[in-house]
Amino acid sequence: MAAALAVSPTRMELMKLRKRVGLAQRGHDLLKEKMDALVMEFFEVLRRIQDSRAKALEQLSKAHRALSNCFAVMGTLETMQAARETKRELQLEISTRFIMGITVPAVEVGEVERNAVARGYSLHMTSSELDEASREFERALKLLVELAELEASAFAIAKELEKTKRRVNALEYILIPRLRGALKFIMMRLDEMERENFTRLKRIKAILEERG
Amino acid sequence: MERIIKLELGRLNVHLPERRISLREALSSPKPSVRTRDGSTHFFKREELESLSKLLPETDWDKLQLPILIALDPKLGRGAARISGEPEARVAGKILNKRAAGELLIYRPEVAALRRELPTTTQYLFM
Repeated sequence: MAAALAVSPTRMELMKLRKRVGLAQRGHDLLKEKMDALVMEFFEVLRRIQDSRAKALEQLSKAHRALSNCFAVMGTLETMQAARETKRELQLEISTRFIMGITVPAVEVGEVERNAVARGYSLHMTSSELDEASREFERALKLLVELAELEASAFAIAKELEKTKRRVNALEYILIPRLRGALKFIMMRLDEMERENFTRLKRIKAILEERG
Repeated sequence: MERIIKLELGRLNVHLPERRISLREALSSPKPSVRTRDGSTHFFKREELESLSKLLPETDWDKLQLPILIALDPKLGRGAARISGEPEARVAGKILNKRAAGELLIYRPEVAALRRELPTTTQYLFM
């Protein structure tokens, strides 16, 4: 153990090692707190992802049903033509929020649902089924943006969690035991040296008494 | 390894703001945000600010400092956290249905519940 850290058995080294153990222990405790908090955040985001994904899937299936109706009423080519004419823009505000130093995206979606005029396709050539399908897809888009935000957050948290866990384990299973081993070695060596000294002094005293 | 520990310890609180802002300031700002120690910007969600404003009388809006800090201190024991400051503790207490007097001590499930309610207006502080 001590050889791995190459320590010399002196009192100075003992004091230095005690400081290092203290720092490593403090780092370990704090990183473990961080890890616990990250796990908590991660599970919370996962729970929200589940809810959000279920909602998005339900909305998408509604939208596809509405699109099928639209194909049936208007015809495929006409629907595709109207889709090409539609304005493709979405107001998004992407900022960041922090969870313990991890940057996670925060997306605020503006008004996604538009009226038929704002969508940009010709009104007298299309049926109300197209409006219905568009509305359902716009609703789905809002939910998908929210889902994307959550998935990006989960990914960032998971990466940080992995890094923190590796550090906590390195401290817990490698560095701290190694430092404690070196500490124990120095203490035992110092005790041994004290005993040797004591025996030597006793021997000298005995020799001096024999001579006297 | 020690260099890494020191670096990690130094990095633990970089997400905290250089200066906290009051609830009134946040509510009156068009883009409520604070500048963090690492120079980036942390934004508050307006709906959270509005729900906070409903929990406190208007006279206390200047006293409530944002973000609310959830202090994780290993001395308190694993999973325990402290919320300091009278209005901050009162708000957290109302959300968690706990009585708070100046300072509030909360535990892991409560921390999770508080973060669920206020994801952008609360931050972790590592002591």
